[in-house]
Amino acid sequence: MIKTNPFKQIFRRKLTLKQKEAMYGRLFVLPWVIGLIVFFIIPFVNSVYYTFQKLSLGDQGLEFSFIGWENYIYAFTKDPNYVKNLTSSITSMLYEVPIVIVFSIFVAYLLKDEFKGRTFARTIFFFPVIIASGVVITVLKENVLGGSTSNMVASSTTIFKAENLRAVLINAGIPRWFSMYVVDIVNKIFDLTWRSGVQILLILAALHNIPKSFYEVAIIEGATEWEKFWKITFPMISPTVYVAIIYSIIDYFTDYGNQVMRMVVDEANKGRFEYSTTIAIIYFLVVMVIILIVNRVIGKRVVYLT
Amino acid sequence: MKSVKSLSMSYIGKRLNVNEVTKSVAKKRLFIVLKKVFLYAFVICMSYILLYPILFLISNALRSKEDLFDPSVIWIPKHITFSNFEYANVLLSYPTAIKNTLLMLIPSVIIQTFICMMVGYGFARFRFAEREILFTILLFTIVVPLQTIIVPLYVKFRYFDFLYIGKLLGFITGKPLTVNLLDTPWPFYILNLFGMGIRSSLYIFVFRQFFRNMPVELEEAAKIDGCGPFSTFIRIMVPNATGAIITVMLFSIVWHWNDYYVSAMFYNENLPISVMLTVLNNRMSMIQDAYNFSSEDIYLMGSTVLEAGCLMVILPLIVIYIIGQRYFTESIERTGIVG
Repeated sequence: MIKTNPFKQIFRRKLTLKQKEAMYGRLFVLPWVIGLIVFFIIPFVNSVYYTFQKLSLGDQGLEFSFIGWENYIYAFTKDPNYVKNLTSSITSMLYEVPIVIVFSIFVAYLLKDEFKGRTFARTIFFFPVIIASGVVITVLKENVLGGSTSNMVASSTTIFKAENLRAVLINAGIPRWFSMYVVDIVNKIFDLTWRSGVQILLILAALHNIPKSFYEVAIIEGATEWEKFWKITFPMISPTVYVAIIYSIIDYFTDYGNQVMRMVVDEANKGRFEYSTTIAIIYFLVVMVIILIVNRVIGKRVVYLT
Repeated sequence: MKSVKSLSMSYIGKRLNVNEVTKSVAKKRLFIVLKKVFLYAFVICMSYILLYPILFLISNALRSKEDLFDPSVIWIPKHITFSNFEYANVLLSYPTAIKNTLLMLIPSVIIQTFICMMVGYGFARFRFAEREILFTILLFTIVVPLQTIIVPLYVKFRYFDFLYIGKLLGFITGKPLTVNLLDTPWPFYILNLFGMGIRSSLYIFVFRQFFRNMPVELEEAAKIDGCGPFSTFIRIMVPNATGAIITVMLFSIVWHWNDYYVSAMFYNENLPISVMLTVLNNRMSMIQDAYNFSSEDIYLMGSTVLEAGCLMVILPLIVIYIIGQRYFTESIERTGIVG
């Protein structure tokens, strides 16, 4: 039976299938678009406006005076730390993120199959997510890794340091830059493992979403484990790996351990809110450019089933 | 004459005699054993790295102040005491703080997961002109942290006036109507409802990637059966997205629980648990009066009480995760649409 809802009939006559799809798409995205304008763009524009001001405490609360590009000029030419910290965070991001991603894929691949104690292993690998995002990690970094005087245990964290390794590698005739790189990574193993909890979980979920029939076909065709990984597993999880890469970059840049982030928070605590916002905005414009480049390079290589 | 074995081998595409087959089987077995050995070695090493801080916290939280400077105490304290937990309980106002946290967290997580799923689906499956540009903006919002916009947001919720309705009413009554939403969980609910909560953009991104990978045939079948886009979403996509939903929910719970920056901004009194932890050291005088400690005692016990407090803050999360773990792993295994 044909429904005779007049409203619906008008709708059907006016919109083509494409227009209808677009309309429904916009409806689905609508809450976010409202939020974007009200709770992001307007406050953001407000914040940008502050960066051209000098804030000071006057008789009637905060007072603003327009100073133009002063804050930006200060950040680039006068602040001794800003440019240095900015470049060093970007360069270390470039090599830390690939390691985090490879490590997460590797761990997720190991944890995927059934083995005794898998539940235990998975529980453990989620600990960083529970702990690392809160205040607790700050306490841990100070008390456990910083080596406070109140305990003797702190000294044992030197197991994560690799001072001797560098000498061994250089003596073995390995190029200097490469051995420096290796040593640097070994020193950061603790940090890197702690930073890959989310990525492991995302990739693990993606691995379980690959239909088993794909592997059955591959086995019948006589594929090796290596081929199975590169021809099935990797393309199938590539959308998630893409999320994980973007996430890692952002997580790296917004981490409180990051030098620039620390500067942002410090300046805000000093009461120089306008300068803090200025350096934050420059910083995130730079990060945005990096993400757009990554998006260009990797986004096209991602495989979608449909 | 072909034996059964060689027949099966030719099916795989290679002709092997029986001798070669047993050799390859042996090779495979060796490979499996090596893989197992490697796996366990790796998991044990990683467990050490990842559990070390927790064990450290437990060990320190159980110490009495005599053990603090005793070099012979490495892991197991000589005078095991639970008093640190008792003090932390008082300093954190534990039951109230947990209540405040849950009041903020439970509705936020539910709203956030649903809205992000909806928006993610919209981005994944519908074509409209401004989709690409909106998606680029979405990436931008993930990158810009709340720190840059927190002050305008604070002002917004101090004088909250949705869509300027209050201002319009102001023309009638003479005074603009605004509501002070600070010290209530409403800022969190509202931000989440409009997809702007803590890391909402990331979850939208996750859901978008997830839905893009779902077979189109599912939706086509639903369409033929007479489902509109919204009922397709609710009845077909949501039940099939259990894996992504649970992943996102878990992250959402953890990040709402651990958030202290935003909470510290929006709350003055009904502080949630993670903010209480940041002010724990400043409140030490509370136990100084209650238990008659000297200020030297307080100085000494500072770190152990803080460590006990840390454990008490993460304990509920660990319990939730251990209980939910089974369901969680099962669900991510079941979501694969076997076709």
